[in-house]
Amino acid sequence: MHEMGIASSILEAFQKELLLYPGYRAAKVGVLIGEFAGVDGESLRFCFEAIVMGSSMESLDLGIENGNGDELDVRRIEFEPVEREEVCA
Amino acid sequence: MIAIDLKRKVLNENDRVASELRTGFRDTGTLTLNFIGSPGAGKTAFLERTLQMLPEGVRAAVLTGDIQTDNDAIRLARYGFPVRQIATAGACHLDARMVQKHLRKWNIGEIDLLFIENVGNLVCPTSYDLGEDAKVVVLSVAEGEDKPLKYPAIFRKAELMILNKTDLLPYVPFRPELARECARRIRPGIEIVETSSLTGCGFERWLIWLDARIHMKRAAPGRRAAGVRSAAC
Repeated sequence: MHEMGIASSILEAFQKELLLYPGYRAAKVGVLIGEFAGVDGESLRFCFEAIVMGSSMESLDLGIENGNGDELDVRRIEFEPVEREEVCA
Repeated sequence: MIAIDLKRKVLNENDRVASELRTGFRDTGTLTLNFIGSPGAGKTAFLERTLQMLPEGVRAAVLTGDIQTDNDAIRLARYGFPVRQIATAGACHLDARMVQKHLRKWNIGEIDLLFIENVGNLVCPTSYDLGEDAKVVVLSVAEGEDKPLKYPAIFRKAELMILNKTDLLPYVPFRPELARECARRIRPGIEIVETSSLTGCGFERWLIWLDARIHMKRAAPGRRAAGVRSAAC
């Protein structure tokens, strides 16, 4: 079940970018999965949700777009500002 | 809200290591083939017969992947070539870092031909570049002819399909022409060689393909072309 490793790679890519934006938190990561990528979207979502559950990334939503080739790309990431009271809490 | 368009490959770390491996193989002229097939397709027996029949002077080596045990490495080591087992301890595929780690104890400059036998699986290994020159998919006549349609990703990426265990054809309702048609529907240019690892049938053709690829890869001035031994069918 290589979707677990792929889910981890997506999360790592996201976290690297997030570090560049202090004061923001995870909102959404969009991935493109080609028909011939050898990755099942639903399995990937299952694994992704299992990885982020209970972590600081729990608010991160996974968006999946289907492609025609063998693409397996992180296409878009979104952050949202952390509310001041959350920062101080 | 901040939104960033990235267009970054999910497996970019694997691809980075694979690229390093590919550069190393290019520098040393090592032809590297990544064998992918279902469990039981006959990958190990195919490699055993290949090692038995390799022309004199070809310096081959094998990395063989399995979830557990070193049984395949023990089998393959009987032919006098360097062999290392990669036990993935649960992972359903080999990745480039595993290959890199297991190659460290070898001098790649002394290897003309590296076979990588992936974990038995037609899906997951397809996603991972190992720095190979070509993927080779192994399909046996004990499987369905429509496997290429059911698992198109690997048949789309493989340059060569080995249709293996042809000695079983008298006993199974398998139509090779249909399997060929299905494979070419997915990849019109795929080369197909029919083999029996038990009898050696078809290996002459496979070894000619291999010989051509070794020489293409090395293209060393003055390098003597190695001949191909015949197999009696």
